[in-house]
Amino acid sequence: MDIFSGLLLGLQTASTFSNFTYCFLGVLLGTAVGVLPGLGPIATISMLMPFTFGLPVDTALIMLAGIFYGSQYGGSTTAILMNLPGEAASVVTTLDGHEMAKQGKAGRALAAAAIGSFFAGTMGTLFIVIAAPILAGMALSFGPTEYFSLIVLGLATSMVLTSGSLLSGFGMVLLGMLLGMIGTDVNSGMARYTFGSPNLLDGLNFVVIATGIFGLGDVLANLETESSRAASIAKVSSLFPTRDDWKRMTAPILRGTGIGVLLGVLPGAGLLLSSFSAYALEKKISKHPEEFGKGAIEGVAAPEAANNAAAQTAFIPMLTLGLPGTATMALMIGALIVQGVQPGPNILNEQPALFWGLIVSMWIGNLLLLILNLPLVGVWAKLISVPYRYLFPLICVFTAIGVYSIRNSAFDVYLMALFGVLGYVFRKAGAEPAPLILALILGPMAEEFLRRSLLISHGDATVFFTSPVSMGTLLIAAVLLVSILLPAFRRAREEGLVEAD
Amino acid sequence: MPVKITQDAVQGGLFAAIGLAALMMALEFPIGSPSRMGPGFFPVVISTLLTLTGVGILVRARLGSSPAIEVTRWSPAIIVSIAIVVFGFLLDKLGLPLAVLLLCIGAATASVRFELNWKAVVGAVAFSVVCGILFVTLLGLPIPLLGSWLQVFGAP
Repeated sequence: MDIFSGLLLGLQTASTFSNFTYCFLGVLLGTAVGVLPGLGPIATISMLMPFTFGLPVDTALIMLAGIFYGSQYGGSTTAILMNLPGEAASVVTTLDGHEMAKQGKAGRALAAAAIGSFFAGTMGTLFIVIAAPILAGMALSFGPTEYFSLIVLGLATSMVLTSGSLLSGFGMVLLGMLLGMIGTDVNSGMARYTFGSPNLLDGLNFVVIATGIFGLGDVLANLETESSRAASIAKVSSLFPTRDDWKRMTAPILRGTGIGVLLGVLPGAGLLLSSFSAYALEKKISKHPEEFGKGAIEGVAAPEAANNAAAQTAFIPMLTLGLPGTATMALMIGALIVQGVQPGPNILNEQPALFWGLIVSMWIGNLLLLILNLPLVGVWAKLISVPYRYLFPLICVFTAIGVYSIRNSAFDVYLMALFGVLGYVFRKAGAEPAPLILALILGPMAEEFLRRSLLISHGDATVFFTSPVSMGTLLIAAVLLVSILLPAFRRAREEGLVEAD
Repeated sequence: MPVKITQDAVQGGLFAAIGLAALMMALEFPIGSPSRMGPGFFPVVISTLLTLTGVGILVRARLGSSPAIEVTRWSPAIIVSIAIVVFGFLLDKLGLPLAVLLLCIGAATASVRFELNWKAVVGAVAFSVVCGILFVTLLGLPIPLLGSWLQVFGAP
């Protein structure tokens, strides 16, 4: 199927009344929950997931994608108005966005973010249209060896891009893989680490763990410092960028989009990397770098564009290889598996309506975001100002119902509570949980691909270095890991990521 | 008196303890050979690495100066997680609205600004009813509105 007939099919799928409505609902709900302080995209998606369970697969995926974009954009709104980043990638937005808000230019900062995101989203979608079928074709020729190396690269990137030390990142990856082994071993049928509990035979449900660690864990951490939370919300005034604003932000949006589109494809943490690089680039080439950090509109537009473009292209490894690049994408895969869809290179051939429908609705979702957010920004600002003491019991209720409804199991609710506490302990101990989440879903794949590679090569581990694709991937992973030991890179990473905490 | 525990000590201790326990259990699975990995092969490799990483972080905790963990309020973590466990236990016994009401009020007590006034209670009751309508009636989740313990009062 060529691209045009694919897009046409996608347009037919996405523009049915019910799919369009659910896309709209997803964007609306995603933004509404995403703007709530302390709720990042992962917590938002897992809370809203039960709303998609009763839907047909394509509608559910379209709504989930809507929720995903909505939560991303909602996070930027909170970052600008309240100086509270919902996730690491929107930290950069707070730097200049909140400064602009303090100067009474909140509306213009929000508009810059929305316009930048929309443009970047459109470009990102176009990139997926062109690149995904090519990559899916390539992926069909990948064997277990190549897949294993790609997983190693993804995990290495996630370790490098966490705020803690490399060693703690490594520990979290290993712990995540260990948790992923719980359940019945697919090859031998043996029950591993189930402690005799029949509830664990199917393994830990990924969504349950992610909701516990990110949704509940955040609540527990926020409650501890509740009394010191000083919430001041900037007023939203004129929404329209001035002619000067347009002039200043056009080129940064273009550059940010370029950076985001390319880095988003990287497994690991493309989102974070792209918004930081876009900001750093703008600051470097700007004629007035002294304005950065004091309310430069370029410092809002470029990273927001990069962030959104990367969020878009992060779907590429997920849709074509079935490998999630970020913890959020891992959650999307978890949701697909709940729906009975196994993402991978075959999805394009076996379910073209699903694939193209999703892509077209990505673009529609971005358009809806632009239309919704600018007029509704006053509503979002009101939502943000709900005090935390009313908010967090509701978060608890929604996460608990969401987790229960995955397979109607009270056991999963207990498990979520346990992982909520664990997530809190990890935060206290300075170990970032994102690599654990990624490893939880990649671990079982890694074991299976390693087993198959070694079966084919008769136990010869050099096979990973004789395949060119595998060798190249491992080399990139090694360079990443070594580069962290270089003093210059190390300093940049610390500066960038410490603020992210 | 407050005990100062460093972040590295907690991380290293956790990793090493979990790694060691997992290794012990993994040794009982058939390990196989590299060309035919048994169910124990990967667990042994990963848990060994985890144990070593934990020990490494513990060593670093002795040598370097990692920041101490300061816990100012540990009660919310306990209150909220107990409220959620109770919710999971009572959900099918009380039905969704009542369980939601309990969780709402139970979790809310963890806040420093918690006070029981009629406005908050009315809000929680209204929210529970909305949740019942939304999740059970509209979304059709298979959770009873009136749980098994309350069936006697329920349908005629």
